[in-house]
Amino acid sequence: MVGIPRKLLTSVLCAGLILCLWGPAQAQTSLVVAVDSAPRMMNPHGDDSDAGLSFMANFFDGLLQRKGPEGELLPALAERWEHPDEFTWKFYLRKGVTFHNGNPFTSEDVKFTFERLSDPEVSEFINTGKTIESIECPDDHTVIIKTKTHIPWFANNMHQIFIMDKESTEARDPGEVMVRPIGTGAYKLVEWVKGSYVTMEANEDYWEGAPQIKKVDVRPITESSTRFAALASGQVDIVTGVPVELFDKVEKNPKLEVSRRPARRSIFLAMGNKEGSPLADVRVRKAIYMAINEDEIMEKVMRGHAFPAAQIPDPPTIGYRKDLKRLPFDPEQAKKLLEEAGYPQGFEVTLTGPNDRYVQDKQIVEAVAKYLAKVGIKAKLDVKPKSIFFPEVAEGKLEFYLIGWFDGTFDMGRTYSKLGHTRDEEEGYGGLNGANYSDPDIDALLESTFDMVDVDEREKALQELNRMAMVDKIVWIPLHYQEDLYAVQKDKGISFTPRPDQWMVYKEITRQ
Amino acid sequence: MTRRRIKSRLLSNYLHDPPAVAGSLIILIFVAGSLAAPLIAPENPYDLEKLTLDHFLTPPVWMDGGTMPYVLGTDDQGRDIFSTIVYGCRTSLIVGFGVVLIAGTFGVLVGLLAGYYGGWLDSLTMRLADTFFSFSTTLMAFLLLGIFRQGGILVVIIAICMADWVRYARTMRGSVLEVKQEAYIMAAKATGAGDFRLLLKHLLPNALPPIFVVVAVDLAVVIMLEATLSFLGVGVPITEPSLGMMIAIGKNYIYAGMWWMIVFPGATLVLLVVGINLFADWLREELNPKIERRA
Amino acid sequence: MGTYIARRLVQGIIVLLAVSMICFFIFRYTGDPVVTMAGLYATQQEREEVRRMLGLDKPMIEQYGLFLWNALHGNFGKSYVTRVPALGLILERFPATFELAFTAVLIAFCTGVGLGILVSIKPYALQNRIIMAASLGGISIPTFLIGILLIMVFSVFLGWLPPFGRGETVQVGFWRTGLLTWSGLKHLLLPALTLALYQLAVILRLTRAGMREVLAEEYIKTAWSKGLYPFSVIFKHALRNAMIPVVTISGLQFGEIIAFSIVTETIFQWPGMGNLLLTSIYETDQPVIVTYIMIAAVIIITMNTLVDILYAIINPKIRYD
Repeated sequence: MVGIPRKLLTSVLCAGLILCLWGPAQAQTSLVVAVDSAPRMMNPHGDDSDAGLSFMANFFDGLLQRKGPEGELLPALAERWEHPDEFTWKFYLRKGVTFHNGNPFTSEDVKFTFERLSDPEVSEFINTGKTIESIECPDDHTVIIKTKTHIPWFANNMHQIFIMDKESTEARDPGEVMVRPIGTGAYKLVEWVKGSYVTMEANEDYWEGAPQIKKVDVRPITESSTRFAALASGQVDIVTGVPVELFDKVEKNPKLEVSRRPARRSIFLAMGNKEGSPLADVRVRKAIYMAINEDEIMEKVMRGHAFPAAQIPDPPTIGYRKDLKRLPFDPEQAKKLLEEAGYPQGFEVTLTGPNDRYVQDKQIVEAVAKYLAKVGIKAKLDVKPKSIFFPEVAEGKLEFYLIGWFDGTFDMGRTYSKLGHTRDEEEGYGGLNGANYSDPDIDALLESTFDMVDVDEREKALQELNRMAMVDKIVWIPLHYQEDLYAVQKDKGISFTPRPDQWMVYKEITRQ
Repeated sequence: MTRRRIKSRLLSNYLHDPPAVAGSLIILIFVAGSLAAPLIAPENPYDLEKLTLDHFLTPPVWMDGGTMPYVLGTDDQGRDIFSTIVYGCRTSLIVGFGVVLIAGTFGVLVGLLAGYYGGWLDSLTMRLADTFFSFSTTLMAFLLLGIFRQGGILVVIIAICMADWVRYARTMRGSVLEVKQEAYIMAAKATGAGDFRLLLKHLLPNALPPIFVVVAVDLAVVIMLEATLSFLGVGVPITEPSLGMMIAIGKNYIYAGMWWMIVFPGATLVLLVVGINLFADWLREELNPKIERRA
Repeated sequence: MGTYIARRLVQGIIVLLAVSMICFFIFRYTGDPVVTMAGLYATQQEREEVRRMLGLDKPMIEQYGLFLWNALHGNFGKSYVTRVPALGLILERFPATFELAFTAVLIAFCTGVGLGILVSIKPYALQNRIIMAASLGGISIPTFLIGILLIMVFSVFLGWLPPFGRGETVQVGFWRTGLLTWSGLKHLLLPALTLALYQLAVILRLTRAGMREVLAEEYIKTAWSKGLYPFSVIFKHALRNAMIPVVTISGLQFGEIIAFSIVTETIFQWPGMGNLLLTSIYETDQPVIVTYIMIAAVIIITMNTLVDILYAIINPKIRYD
C-alpha cells in the first residue's frame, strides 16, 4: 500500500463501513439478481442475443413491448400502429416521453434508430435495418416505415428494436455510447463494472409510472454452480438459469422458492440431405428419429426439466400445429428401416454440437451418440464452443448437428427461411442451414407464404409447411423444449413471474 | 570411480531410500494399470455401443444406492468412475511420456549442438529458449491450444512440446559446456575423432545425467498441465477420457453433494504426480554433486 | 549496465514483434468473427459487408501492416464482442489481476523463504519433515484442483469464505481496489492461496536446497566456529548466497503466475485479465486475445529485466557488460 497516504486510507475505510451499514436500510426497494450471462455492451443494437437484450430492455424501450406469460404484443413508445398495405407500417408515438438526459422523445429519434440498424460498426440487427426502404416523419409523433419486401412479422420484432436518443448518440464519443446507455427505459445505469456487476436505479419520470423497485444490482455469474452458491448463501435475491443438477437442492431449501416455465426454445437435430449420403433417405432420417430415447434424455440428462417437442416452433408461434406427435422410441423398427434403406451395418456420421449454449447441450449430444450406436450408426462426436460452432453452421459446413431455436417474432416463416430453405446467397435464404438441407417442396411452399397478406391464410399455409417438414420429410428431429428455472428468496416478499423470452425486466418485479 | 561402481552405488542408495522406492512403485503400478486398462476396468467408458444412462450418478458402492460393479460410483453419463479413471490415467501417461520423448529428444539435440558448436547457433537458440522459458510452458501451451482448439491427444502433445523443449535444450547445453572441458573429450578431439563420433559417443552419454532429473520433473509437470488444459476445456476432446475433464464435470456437482465425481479422479491425479515427484527428488539428490549425503 | 539494459530493450522489441506476427497470422486462419457480429439473421451478403468493415477482405500482409501501425499508436483494435478498444478492456481488469497476483507472490515468497530456512536448519526434525512432505504435496496438486478443494472445504462445507468474485471494491483514482474493504479481503483469501500454494512449495524447496548447499560451505563452518550468533550466521552469511537461485527462479516464474492466474480467476470468477482471456478464447474475440498476449509479453520481459538487475545487486560478482 505504498503511496497511499494513511489519511486517505482511513477515510476510505470509514466510507466503506458507512456503505455497509447503509445497505439494509433501503433493502425494501432494492433487488440483487444473479443472471447467467454478462452484458457485452450498453449499445442496444450491438448484441442480438437474449442475454444482451435482457439488460437493454431495462434502459431502453421499443416502439412496442411484450408482457405477460404469453408475451403479448402491447404498445410502448408507440401508442398504436397500423399496417395499411403490404409494405407500410405506421406508428403513432407516445407524447411527453423523455430520455434519461431530459431530451424529448420524437419521431426523429425513431428514424435515427432505424437508420443506425444497418451500420455494421454498431449493429447486429443489420438484417432488420436492410429490409427498410424508407422512413418518414410527417410530424413529431408519427413515423411511417416502408419495407423493401413484404415482411409479415415486421411489427412482431418491434419489442426488441430499442429507441436511442439521436442528439446524445451523435454528440457523444462512440466508445462512450457503447458503455453508457441513454434511453427512455424504466431504469438508469448507475455503474457497470465489467466482470462484476451492473447497478441501476429507477427512472422516476418513467412514462408507465416509476417502477416499484428503486435499486437493482445485477451480478452476471456464468458458472452455474457458482450462481447456486451465491443464492444458497443469501447473497442474491433472484437467480436465473438454476442448473438442472442442483434444482432438487433448491427445491428442498426452505428459504428458497423455485419458479419454472416452459422455455420457448426447442432443441433439435438438423441433418443434411446431400445426394448419395445415407441421410438423404427419409427412412434413415426416420430410423435416427426412432433410435433416440427422448424420454430418457428428458428424465436423466435434463433431470425432468424439459417438455417433449414434436416440432420446432412453440405453441404461441404462428405455424405451430397441435396435432403433430413424436415418432415413438423403437430401436428395433429403426434397425429395420436402416436395413430397408440399404444400411444394415449402419454408417458413420459426424455429430456436431455446441458445449456452452443450451442447457446440458454437450450431454444431450453424448446421449444421442449412445442411442445411435445401439442401432449401428457410428456417430463421431465433435463438440465445440458456440463461437466456433455457429460460424460453421453459417458456412454450411456440417453434416448432422444439435441446435436450438426460438423466434423472437413468434413467426415460423422467419425461422424456416433461415434454417430450412435451400441456401441462397442472393435472396438471403438458408443463412443458418448448417448442413445444406435442400428440398424443392419445402422451398416452394415457404416462398408462397411470403406474399400472403391475409393472416389466417398465411397461418394455414405455415401449418401445412410444418406438417410437411415434420412428417413427410423429417427435415429436423425435434427433441424437447427447455424449461427455464429461476429461484427466489422466499421471505423477502418478492413477486416475480418469468417471461417467455427469458428477459429480466425489473419494472415487472415488485416487493412488499 | 568407474561407471560400474557408480551404478552399484546408485542401486544401493536407491534401495535404502523408501520414498524413492515408493515413488517408483507408484509409477510402475500406474504404467501397468494403463497398459492393462481393458483387463482391469469393468467397462470401457467410451464404448458408445455398451454405455447406457441406466446407472447414471450412482454413488460409491459403500454408500446408499451404490451397486456393483460401480465401485467408485458413476458420473452423469453413466460412466463407471473407476473405469474412467483407469482410462484417464492412460491418457495422462500417453501425453506425459509422449511429450517427454518428443520434446526431450528435440531439446537434447538442440542443446547438444548449441553447446558443442557455440557461436551464432548457440546464441540464437539460447535467446529463443530464454524467451520461451520466460513465457512458461503452461502459458504457451494454453495459448497455443486456445488458438488451435481441440483436435485430439496428438494436438495436445504437439502444443505442449512446442513450449516444453526448451527445458531440455537449456539443461543439455549447460551440461555439454561442462563436459566439453573434461580431459577425455579434449583427448578424443586431439586424436582426431570426427564431430559426429565425438558428439554421439562421448558428449551425449556424459552430458546426459542432468537430463534424467529434468525428465522426471517434466513428466510430473506435463501430466498436471494436461489435466489443467482438459479441465479448462482446451485439452483433449470429450470423446477421450481425461482426469482433468472428469474433475471439470464433477465440479458442477459439488454443491449437489456428489463428491465422488471429483475426489477420486483428483486423488488419483495427485497420487500419480506425487509418485513421480518422489522419484524425481531422489534422482536430483543423487545426481547433485554439491550435496553431502547423510551417512 | 546501461548498454545491457539497452540490449535487453532491443531484444524485447524483437520478441514483441515476433509474438505479434505469430498471433496475428494464426488468428487470421482460425475462427471467423463475422457471423456473430452480423447477427444471426443476417444474410450472406450482409456478412460480407461486415467483413469489409473489419478489413478482413484485404490481403494478409496489408492487414498485418495496418495492425502494427495501429498498435504503435496504442490502438490494438476493437473487441469483436463488445466493440470497444481491446486495450482499455484489458487494462480495466488489470487492478484485479495485479492485486491477486501480488498477494499470491507475497504469500508464496515470504512463507516459502521462511519455511525454507526453518527446514534447512534442522532438516531431520519431525515438524520439518512434515513441512517437506507437505511441500511435496504442494508441487503435486495442480492449481485448479487446489482451488476446487478450497471451495469445497471453506465455502461449501464450512461456509466461511465466499467462493467467487471480488466482493466490495473501492475506486481510488483510476484503480479499483478490493484491499480496502473487509468483504474484498475475504474474497481475496481463497484465490490468493490457490495461486500461491504451488509457488510457495517451489520457493520453499529452492530455499532449502540453496541453504543446504551454502551451510555446507567452509566459510559458514568458520563462522559457526567463531561463535557468531545463529541469527547472524544464517541471515547475514548464509541467506544472502542461498537466495541467488531463489531470486533467479522466482523471476522466471512470472510467466507461470500469469498462466495460473488464468486458471485461478476462472475457478473463482475473479474479474481479472485471465478471466477475460478465457472468455475471449471461448468467444473467439481475437483482438482481445492478441492484446492480452502482447501485454503479458511486455510484463514478462520487464519483470525479467528487473530481476536481472536485482540479481546484480544481490550478487556483486556478476557484471553485465
